[in-house]
Parts: sequence; C-alpha cells; structure tokens
Amino acid sequence: MCRLCSGVTALTLFDLVKRSMRKNIKHYYLYFFALILSVVLYFVFATLQHDAAVAAQGTGTMGAAFQVAGILLVFIAGIFIVYANAIFLKRRSREIGLYQLIGLTKRAVARLLIIENMLLGIMALIVGIAAGMLVSRVFLLLLMKLIGYEAFIEVSFSTAAVIQTFFVFLAIFVLTTIQMVFTVYRNSLLSLFNSEKQGQHPRKPKTAASAILALLGIGLIAFGYWLSGRMLNAMIFFNMLAVLATVILGTYLIFRVTISWLLYRIRRSKNGHLGLANSLSLAPLMHRMKSNANSLTIITVLSAMTLTMTAAAYSLYYSTEQETQAIMPFDFMFENEAGLADDISQELDDNGISYQREAVETFVVPAEFEEKPAPFLERATDIALFSSEQLQQAGLDVDVPENGEASFHDVSVATLFNSVTLPFDLTLQDEGATTLSITEIAQQNVLNWSFFTSQIVVNEETYQSLKAQLASETGDAALQQMDGFHIAEEDMAAASAIYQQDKYKVSEPHVDYYSSYDGSIQSNGLLIFIAGFLGLVFLISTGSILYFKQMTEAEQEKQSYATLRQLGFTVKDIMRGIVRKQAFVFGLPLAIGLAHSIFAIQAASFLFRTDILFPASVAMGVYALIYLVFAVLAVGYYKKTVKAAL
Amino acid sequence: MTTENKTITPKTSKQTVLQAHNVRKSFGARGNVQQVLKGIDLRVAEGEFVGIMGASGAGKTTLLNVLATIDRSTEGTILIDGVDISKMKDSELSAFRRNQLGFIFQDYNLLDTLTVKENILLPVSLGKMKKQEAEAQFQSIAKILDIEALADKYPHEISGGQKQRTSAARALINQPSLVFADEPTGALDSKSASSLLRTMAEVNKQQGVTIMMVTHDPLASSYCSRVVFLKDGNVYSELYKGDKTRQAFFQEILNVQAVLGGDSVDAL
Repeated sequence: MCRLCSGVTALTLFDLVKRSMRKNIKHYYLYFFALILSVVLYFVFATLQHDAAVAAQGTGTMGAAFQVAGILLVFIAGIFIVYANAIFLKRRSREIGLYQLIGLTKRAVARLLIIENMLLGIMALIVGIAAGMLVSRVFLLLLMKLIGYEAFIEVSFSTAAVIQTFFVFLAIFVLTTIQMVFTVYRNSLLSLFNSEKQGQHPRKPKTAASAILALLGIGLIAFGYWLSGRMLNAMIFFNMLAVLATVILGTYLIFRVTISWLLYRIRRSKNGHLGLANSLSLAPLMHRMKSNANSLTIITVLSAMTLTMTAAAYSLYYSTEQETQAIMPFDFMFENEAGLADDISQELDDNGISYQREAVETFVVPAEFEEKPAPFLERATDIALFSSEQLQQAGLDVDVPENGEASFHDVSVATLFNSVTLPFDLTLQDEGATTLSITEIAQQNVLNWSFFTSQIVVNEETYQSLKAQLASETGDAALQQMDGFHIAEEDMAAASAIYQQDKYKVSEPHVDYYSSYDGSIQSNGLLIFIAGFLGLVFLISTGSILYFKQMTEAEQEKQSYATLRQLGFTVKDIMRGIVRKQAFVFGLPLAIGLAHSIFAIQAASFLFRTDILFPASVAMGVYALIYLVFAVLAVGYYKKTVKAAL
Repeated sequence: MTTENKTITPKTSKQTVLQAHNVRKSFGARGNVQQVLKGIDLRVAEGEFVGIMGASGAGKTTLLNVLATIDRSTEGTILIDGVDISKMKDSELSAFRRNQLGFIFQDYNLLDTLTVKENILLPVSLGKMKKQEAEAQFQSIAKILDIEALADKYPHEISGGQKQRTSAARALINQPSLVFADEPTGALDSKSASSLLRTMAEVNKQQGVTIMMVTHDPLASSYCSRVVFLKDGNVYSELYKGDKTRQAFFQEILNVQAVLGGDSVDAL
C-alpha cells in the first residue's frame, strides 16, 4: 500500500492501470475468461450466419432461425458478462476504495477502470476472434453433418462476422462501463471496504407465514405439473400461461422460502450439534439463500427452458426418419395411374435402380365416427378401406383384424385419439349403415399421407364382402388402384430425382419419402444445431456464474478454513462438508430444472408419435454432465483454498 | 524424561504436560536464514497457567505455533502428554490437535455462519463423544464462562468479550490436555479483558486446565502462575507467582520487562 502512496505522484493513470492489472491478474482472469468465452461463441455463430455454404444450403427459414438465435445469443452473452463484471467489481471494491482513500478522485478512479475495461475488451476481442476462427470450422462441420450436407466445406474468413462481433461487444462494453462508473459513484468508501464481508445473517423465520409460503411453493409446482398433463382443451393458451406462472412462482418460493424453512427446521432439530459437514454446507447456504434466491430461480427456470428446448429439438431430429416413415410407408405412389407407374418402372430399370412395385387396392366411402376428438370428424368424412392381407403382401407390417373389426391409420390425428376409449364404432354411410368396430389406433399409415388421410384396415374377408356390397350400390367408381414403390436405401436419392420430374406430377402434393426426409432432416438438423448451440452457451454461462460465485464464497470463507484446520480438522474432513454444499448449489437448480423440463416434454409429447424417452434422456444426461464438470471445478477450487488456508 | 540442567522445572512435582527440548526454528531460504527460536527448553506441568512474554520479534508466536503443532520446528523434540509431536504426520497432527489441544485466538476466529453453541460444539463434531455427553459438557462450560444465554446468537450479535468467551468455551469443550491462547485479550477493552482473564484463571484453578498464553501485556500475564520471558529466540528468565498477590506479581513482571526493554509502552 505504501509503495503505492509514495509512487502515486510520479505515476500516470495509465501506469497505475498497468500495475494494478499485473498485480490483480487473479481477479481479472475470471472476468477476462467470461469475456473471451462470449466473444468466441458469438463470433462462431456470426461466422456460420455469414457462411456461404450455410447460406447456399439454407432456405428462408434458415436465415430467420439464425437471426432469432443471434438476438437470443446477444442477450445471454450480455447478461453473462454484466453478471461476471458485477462479481469482479465486488471482489475489487476494496481496491477501488483504496484508490479513493489515497486521494484519487472518483472521476480518476472511474477513468482508471474504464481504461482497464477497454484494454481487457480489446484483448478479449482479439483472442476471442482468433480462437473463434479455429473452432468455427468444427461447428460448421457439425452443422453440415446435422443437416445432411456431405460435400467438402471450407470456412472462409468473414469480415462481416468480425464487424458484427465488434459492434455487439462494443454495446456490451458500454453496458459494463456504465456498471463500473455506477459502482464508483454510487458507493461510499465505507461500503466499498465492507462489501466483501456482506452477507445476510439468517433470521428466524416467522414460523406460521414461512410454513404456509414454503408449502405454497411446493403446492404451486405440483399444481403446475398436474395442469401440464391436462392442457389439451379449448383453454390451451390460458392453461399454458397458468402452468408457466405457477411453476415459476413456485420455483421462486422454493428457493426464497421453502429451502430456508426446511434448512432452518433441520438446523433447529440439531440443537447446536450441527457437525462439521453441516457447518460447512447447511450453515453457509442458509446465510446466502436470501441473496441467491433470485439468481437460482432464474438459473433454474432458464435451465428448464433450455433443457426442454434441446431435448425437444433433439427428439425431433432423432425421430425424423421414423416420423417420415410413419406418414410415408412407400417411397412414392401413384393413384389410378398404372401407365405412369409402368413408365417409372421402366425408367428405374434403365437407371439400374432396384425397386419393388406393389399394387394396393382401396375404396373410399363416407363414414361417421362415434368418437369425434377432432373437428373434422364432426360430420361424416371419407375413409379409405384396405385389406390387411393385401397390405402385408405389399410389404407393410400390419395386424390382421378380426371380422367386423378395424384399425385406424392416420398418424396426423392419432394422438388426438389417446383420450378415447377403444373400441368405438365407425358407421359407413352405405345403405345398410354397416358398422365396423375400431379396435386399434395405429401409429403408422398404410398409404402415403398425400393420398388419403383416414385409412381403415380390415381383414381380407371383411374387405371383400364390403367391396362387393358397395360395388353393388355405387358401382366401381369408389375403387382406387394404388401403385406403391419401395426403393433400396442406396438408390433413394436417384429414384427421388426421377420421381420429381414434371412428367410424373399428376397429383398434388407431389411428394416422395426421400425428399420429405431430406427436407425434415435439414430443418430439424438446423433446429437441433441452434438449440444445442444456444443450450451450450447458456449452460456454460450459468455454470460459470455458479462457479464464479463459489470462487468468491471460497475466498470469503478462507479464514473459516484456516480456523478449522487449526482446530485440527484435516483437509479431507473439511472437503466432505464442501462437497455436500456443492452438491446442493449445483444439484438443486439442475434437479428442479430437470423435473420442470421432464414435465414440459411430457406435456409436449403429443407432438411426437415416436418414443422420445431415449433422445430426451440423452439431451438431459449431457446437460447434467456438463453441469457436473463445473461442480468438479468448484470443488477443485475449494480444495486449493482449504489447502492453502493454513 | 527427568529434569536436565537447562530445563526449567516448576516447583510442583505434578505430571509433565509439555516438554520441549532444544527447539529451534529458522525461516527463509539458504543464504538468508533467520533463526527465530534458538534452542528453547521448556517444561509445563499439569495445571499450570504459563504466560509467554517478550518484545515483538522475540519469537513468542513462533514458539506457540511450533508447540501447538501448527508449525514444525526445525530442530528439537516436543513431547505433549509424552507423545513426540515432531515425528507425527500431518494427519496425525490434525487428530492430535483436535483431541488434545484447545485454542483461543486474538481475533476469536469464530465461524460467522454458526451460532455460539454450534461454534463451541464444533471441535467435538467428529469425535466419538455422545450427544448427551457433549450437551452436558457444553452446559457446564457455558455456565462457567457465563454465556448460556447467548447459545443461539450469531457472532455478529455479541460483543468482543462475549466472542472471546465463546472462543474459550470452544477451546475447552474437548477437555484438552493443554490450551493455547494467542494474545486473547489483544482485541478487548480493559474491562472485558480482565473479566476474561479472571475466568481463565478460575478455569485453570478449579478445572485444573493447563493453559499456555502468549501476550505482551504485563497485566494479562499477572494472572498466570508462571511467566516465561523470551528474548531474541532464547528463554531470558522466568517468574513464579507463588503466594504473591497479583499486584505484586504484576510489579515484578514490569521490572523484568524494564530490564528486557522493548514493548512495555504499548502494553498500556
């Protein structure tokens, strides 16, 4: 300190900056790290956004998706940096106070901090953009792989990305500068010197009120979960809002009241015999619960959203093939166009493409559903009848219904029937008003969706008798001859190109399995990439924030560790308590976030026909794993601190 | 170990709690070694209240740290309750501190996040002491130190004197063989200081707790049964209180200090 006062007259402000930066490198690196990380991630994103290969590959949706994600990214980066800066400033408040104590004006201190911030910002930009160039290729390859683009790609240096990154961080720099100036001008010397010691002391909760609020928190979340499973009715929008509101409020109450209340009760039951592990976990947690409630709530809610987003996106991507197959059991089809089917068979042969051509017969008849879960079923609607034996011959995997029974095949509305009890009646609008009993809602179409939607499968015997009966009533007009093609995997692309020629375009929409799959994999690939990227950025930000907080706490509690070591507790004993605290600090937001997202995914599961348990678990598992890394880092930092304490 | 020539022996023939022989401690790397303790011999018997005095830099705190197993001596042997602590591993030392020693610090070193009672019970938290036993022990110590009413208060809610009593209670909860006190009155006002010292002397007499206290305050050391003076890393002399009044003992201490020179001024 004295070296500083004696030298200060001879020092210019800039010298002082250089000196303080050299001496405080430990404090800086945390903030610096946050800055660099944000720059790298943003720059990678901007590079991809401006990349020619991505632009060429993408349609209009690609650009829009990138734009929205880019804005979100700026928000996350901004919040992250401002938060890191706040921690950084708090750690340095004593130093800021000291400068003022030795006679620097507030203005000079502010200027000093701004120069520092500028130097840090410029360095972070340079390092971040350089690092971003190195890793952007990895991300580009990943994106291209996800959207099924296989040609050779090269990342070109993007000046536009550099400029965009520069301006975004210039804006963030302005924000942090304001924050710094605010800290210098708004705080008194005394508060600057004491800010390290701040921390609330737990008060005895008002038992009755706390108990009610604590239970209310749990109750709200339980209600939100309960409602989330029952949202699909006319009030769906209101229900969604209600679920969001109750769960978020409940989460806040959990962190603000419930946990303190529970911890207080546990502590009181110990009657002073707290034990070392609890003294190092439960007690400090109670001390900081009040100030941490807000950030933990935000982290938890955002974790839940990110988890839901990535799990849903990954599930979509993961099930693309199955979903496409469910709506298109044939690669392509013709309806009553045997001539065209012959032509294309010829063309496929000419190109050496092996295929299987299957003939399927169907006839269409209006029918009325007894159960009407969808609006279009309110009135009699056309259904297409099929024979299960014929379909099996055509290579489809369908069960043979009993006589007079039928299975319903229309995956676009299948989930709407989830709440319907089987069997129910289907009454054909023929003269005899024949009734079929629907015994199964299948998760698989028997014909490509573009031809008939409500597909009903009966066994051959029932089919033939119905066909004979209807033919006598209405003639053969309702009878349709379908030609479906199965193409071997390796020839799909070539066959698709042949099918997409104009001469075969006789029905609308003119779609085939391969191009549908390709389109879906592109949009879903983009979705999972953006969701994953944002999720990663968010995860790293929240993980870092929790880690920074723990670093600060470790430093604040250094004296306690010294005392404990002196009293004869080993590093191992102390670490046991600290690990327990870390499990709580990292585990709780993760656990609650996971629970929220599980219910959210479940509520949204009607969007998926396929089983998403696996992809959703993978996404959540990866998320938890990355969180674990931060927890391990925090424990490592504590261990270093405890070891050095004595 | 029986008495050797240089070993300072108390008049009573009680059991030896601490026996230090030729303790040396140097700091610094090669070329710039500074010897702070230059071969100290010391014996503390059970039930003694020993004060260590000396000017700043005389090696008081270093001696305390070495004897209290917080720091290791460069040379010499230290036996506490007949156990040679200089040969122990770090983990053994930790267990030894926890089970055999008590500490009172100048800055109290209470954990802010724990209540008075929780702070006091901390040292027994890993031991085998049963809960009822620990509770009974806490009640009796809290009564002696007059802090029963503060059990549920946090350190920030109580005064310095009360904090130091809490710290003392924490040092005593384990029924240690030896309590080390490092300038326990350093941060206290004179009234709280004498009150604490009276209590310490009382605990020493009535409970038979052996205490070793480092201080530069002659008033504080006048509560001791023996005062050892250090000068430049050596034992300079020692005084026994014997049957003298505290005032007379205080005067004697002042006299030795005057000869020693040093920090008699800042003690007042």
